[in-house]
Amino acid sequence: MDVNIVLILFYGALVGFLSGLVGVGGGFLITPLLIFTGIPPIVAVSSGAAQMTGTASGASYLHWRQGNIDFKMGLTLLVGSWLGGGFGVYLAKVLLKAGQFGNVVVFLYVILLGFIGVSMLIESVRAISRASARVPAAASEPAAANSLLRTWVERLPWQTTYPASGVRMSVIGPLLLGAAVGILTSLMGVGGGFIMVPVMIYVLKMPTKIVVGTSLFQLLFTTAAVSVMQAGINHSVDPFLALILILGSVFGTKMGARLGARLPAEKLRLILALVVVAVAVKMVVTLLMPPAHIHSMSVEVR
Amino acid sequence: MMRWLLCLLFASGCILPAGAWAEEPLVVAPTTSEVKITTDFAGTTIEAVGAMSGPGELIIKLVGPKQEATLSRETKLGPFWVGGESVKLQGAPSLLFLYATAPIATILPPAEQQKYGLLLEGVPVRVAPHLKAHAAEDWRKAFYRIKERQGYYHEYDTVIRVFGNRLFVADMRLPGDLQVGTYTIETLLVKSGKVAGHTIGTFNVRLSGVERWVWNAAHDHAWLFGSLFTLLAMLLGLALNAFPFRQTR
Repeated sequence: MDVNIVLILFYGALVGFLSGLVGVGGGFLITPLLIFTGIPPIVAVSSGAAQMTGTASGASYLHWRQGNIDFKMGLTLLVGSWLGGGFGVYLAKVLLKAGQFGNVVVFLYVILLGFIGVSMLIESVRAISRASARVPAAASEPAAANSLLRTWVERLPWQTTYPASGVRMSVIGPLLLGAAVGILTSLMGVGGGFIMVPVMIYVLKMPTKIVVGTSLFQLLFTTAAVSVMQAGINHSVDPFLALILILGSVFGTKMGARLGARLPAEKLRLILALVVVAVAVKMVVTLLMPPAHIHSMSVEVR
Repeated sequence: MMRWLLCLLFASGCILPAGAWAEEPLVVAPTTSEVKITTDFAGTTIEAVGAMSGPGELIIKLVGPKQEATLSRETKLGPFWVGGESVKLQGAPSLLFLYATAPIATILPPAEQQKYGLLLEGVPVRVAPHLKAHAAEDWRKAFYRIKERQGYYHEYDTVIRVFGNRLFVADMRLPGDLQVGTYTIETLLVKSGKVAGHTIGTFNVRLSGVERWVWNAAHDHAWLFGSLFTLLAMLLGLALNAFPFRQTR
């Protein structure tokens, strides 16, 4: 693959920075960036997964040192995401056969990113304006829909305590969340941090810093499983591409984690929200604009 | 090396009596028989040096190994542009460079161009699944357009340099993203609208060094390779983050 190494290094650094800052793996960002560069989508998705494994292991370590990982929660999520990942691979196979895989993926991206990004944006802007108005934290009550979901989660069986996060809830909640994220990993080539983080913050009511560490921990093992499967089944992990991305991302991750420790939680959420909205807008624009070239071609990898 | 070859060919060109053979004599020596693709491969230049018996036009046709391509077309669904139907295109060369001393259309009539495969948009391509003639033709045209846009199908008329109507040198620039396999260099000598001399040479493009080793490992032991590489990625990420972290703490 004939691509610019400096550009790939830069992408790696950018994604690593976000990863350290807010705990998203950046798959939803790296995959489109690599595809825009001209790398075949399947290689972009697979090498992206390998890269996220590298980034997440380094970042997880930093968060583990700072005591930000809830292992009980992380393992519960992981069981769910491996089950969901297996189901997602099957679903992808069915969609590929029907020739609709690409379209389904794009619309899934737009809907998910748009919905999550906008709701987070509104919430974090409100939180920041409340903080500057010096209103007590107790006043930040969740929206009506959120509290309904919350009541529903509280009524589920198998309630258990997660001491590291200081929350008590049913095992089913994190299992379902993990499964949803696992499906996304197989279908969209993302680690799922961008959905995991908001759900853990708003629905599971975990502290933001613990959410970031735990999400990275779960991400590490989900993307590792996907990376191995993609290499084994599709031969689509490009080791050189992945290594360059990892090198770029470690520097970004370090900077992101440092900055994350200093910035207030609402500002972290605002940054994530802005990034998510930007990607969603970019995707919608791409969908609406007539393509420069109606035909596109992919060739067999040598 | 290059100068020696030139001298040699120049000498032999002087000795050759013009018109001694039925087909005009044409000697071409590509200076490379193998191109190795290593990790930092960013394209290369293949040099062909040749001699001919007298004044005439030259055409060099560089053809890459065959490559199967999947072509898809965007369609409009409501306000959105989405991926529509796709076809497979088989049998077309991955690369087709035509070098000539003048625009080919001005030195050869179309029938001769067709006969020797000297039309960029005349490469035989099979469209799968089988479609009606005009539909298949649309896909073929799209394929040629993309190949030309990406720079894999191209006609050059300034690359061949001719010295004293006897010797010629062509520096053929190959892109970095090459299909591996056998490439052919076909040289044609054209006199008054007819092909008067004809010679074929080949060279190989293959993966080399780490690139080859990794490619083999990734294909022959895919699961082991995937597991080990993923583990390596994890350890690398960990090492790169952990050590600076300890030092600055």
